[in-house]
Amino acid sequence: MMSHVRRTWSLGRNRSGVSCRTGSASIATCSGDAALVLLSRSNDVFQNLALEDWIEANVDLQRRGVLLLWRNRPAVVIGRHQNPWAECHLPAMRGGGVPLARRRSGGGTVFHDLGNLNLTFFSSKTSYDRRRNLKVVTEALRQLRPALDVRATDRFDILLNGHFKISGSAARLSRKSSYHHCTLLHSADHSALANVLRPSCPGIQSNATPSVPSPVANLLDHAPTLQWEELLDALVRQYNAEFSSSSSSITVDPADEAAFPGVAAAAAELRSWDWTFGRTPKFRVETVLQLADEWTAARCSARLQVEVKGGVVESCRLDVPADWLPLRLSGELSGVLVGGRFCRHRAAAAVTELTRSESGEARSRLKELGDAVLTAMG
Amino acid sequence: MRVNLLHEVPAKHHLINLKEEEEEEEEEEEEEEEEEEEEEEEDPRSANPRRRIRCPHQYATKMAACGLFRSLSSNFFTVLPVLTRSATLSPLRLTSQPYFERTLATSCRLTAALKFTGKHEWIRVEDDGIGTVGISKFAQEALGDVVYCGLPEVGTQLVQQDEFGALESVKAASELYSPLTGEVVEVNTLLADNPGLVNKSCYDDGWLIKMTIGNPTELDTLMDEAAYERYIRSIKD
Repeated sequence: MMSHVRRTWSLGRNRSGVSCRTGSASIATCSGDAALVLLSRSNDVFQNLALEDWIEANVDLQRRGVLLLWRNRPAVVIGRHQNPWAECHLPAMRGGGVPLARRRSGGGTVFHDLGNLNLTFFSSKTSYDRRRNLKVVTEALRQLRPALDVRATDRFDILLNGHFKISGSAARLSRKSSYHHCTLLHSADHSALANVLRPSCPGIQSNATPSVPSPVANLLDHAPTLQWEELLDALVRQYNAEFSSSSSSITVDPADEAAFPGVAAAAAELRSWDWTFGRTPKFRVETVLQLADEWTAARCSARLQVEVKGGVVESCRLDVPADWLPLRLSGELSGVLVGGRFCRHRAAAAVTELTRSESGEARSRLKELGDAVLTAMG
Repeated sequence: MRVNLLHEVPAKHHLINLKEEEEEEEEEEEEEEEEEEEEEEEDPRSANPRRRIRCPHQYATKMAACGLFRSLSSNFFTVLPVLTRSATLSPLRLTSQPYFERTLATSCRLTAALKFTGKHEWIRVEDDGIGTVGISKFAQEALGDVVYCGLPEVGTQLVQQDEFGALESVKAASELYSPLTGEVVEVNTLLADNPGLVNKSCYDDGWLIKMTIGNPTELDTLMDEAAYERYIRSIKD
């Protein structure tokens, strides 16, 4: 199905009249050494990430490269070894219907939406060359709008006017092949971005790979007449020029299991809690909870220390003044959280169960404490 | 040329030097970081009084290792270079010296009998039958500075060639593939705070996991050092 949603553009028209449903037979076994250019018709981040994995595993990249162009409905994508609680605001994302995806490449956290173009350069491990790939982007932009100052940095970002990040990169090396993907901000929604790219919980201590925050800008803000289609065309042309090919782009559908056998299972794995949250490197949360009794307005501070491994609470310690809440109860609350996912929904069920068996002031204070702990979980 | 140095120095003297250097190295671990930066710029062929030879297998007697080394050295057309920590090698040094360093490391490790996979992992079978796994120098150099080690949990069951984790470097996230079938019994916890150990000491402190060897015949499918050296050369060509 063509991409629809808010904007009426599709990712790209079929440029050469090559028809849509291109099977794995033609992609995986395409003869010749010409590089291939593929456009994904899906806007689902999990399907597109699964398609990347499929191409890497199934297309012979030893002699030729592939360029995949794709974009997603709003989503946050974290790097392989990152901590989602530290990188993005899970409650804001839930509220806005913005899913979280963990990709298989390294690097930092990005916000995807339909104004953010993703480019994936597939190659053999020996031909892996991020600088060369980024040159495709900067050269294409220079030809489109010579007045724009766009440059790739040592960190493989692309900066506009030496200051605004318009592209970030990440990469993955596997058995024989590699991919390097990067974003390109054409017209992303900045306020949505700022709203979700902030931590869910205070007090996280971890050695997960951190993001390096940068001020960002959209190409459209600095080149108001630059159309999406125009940008795609220039990128495809420049890719062909750089890699000495003359491929027209082929539109592919990552939802097509017949064309890409196994892609649905790959997408399902990427959607799973175990992959998205369970792969978070071990971390601990240490924070102070401010509690107020809703009846008496009495206040106190409590300390929360949680160790999370594989997304599951390994240990939990709550230091609550005994005159606020009996130690037995704060101890029980810590106890019910251990062994469960560090996840507000799961924990909420356990907390509700516990408060049900109390009454009066103890009950309301326990509930208050429970809510504060859940908020700290993001 | 270092070839001459090797043949001229009597064995005993040579061994004493090695021992001293080993101790020196351990004491000065911390301070060396900055000094190494300067060393990189020196002409690699000049005599380097701080020659450090990193023998990865602590248990092997250095005498045996170096005795072997001397007898093998005649088999290699290049000899004894400085084996500085890989992570701090300048690109120029890398391209001019790769064979030198590999052959030296090879010789020291022969007593430890490393086996290699085509994806550049190595496994060393210890006396207790447990296999220690890491990545080769070639792999570590290709990766660049490792910033994060994603390793499996103890108890994870692995089948040969399974992906068991990933190393994230400034270059990319690279998958790790299990050399054998077995169970993970230990994971190198030092890497959590010091992932750079994989670059600095890929055969020693930078080990990744230890595993049981469920199917010893699988060892025959792996390359020994000489075969791995040839394999690397064929890749480079």
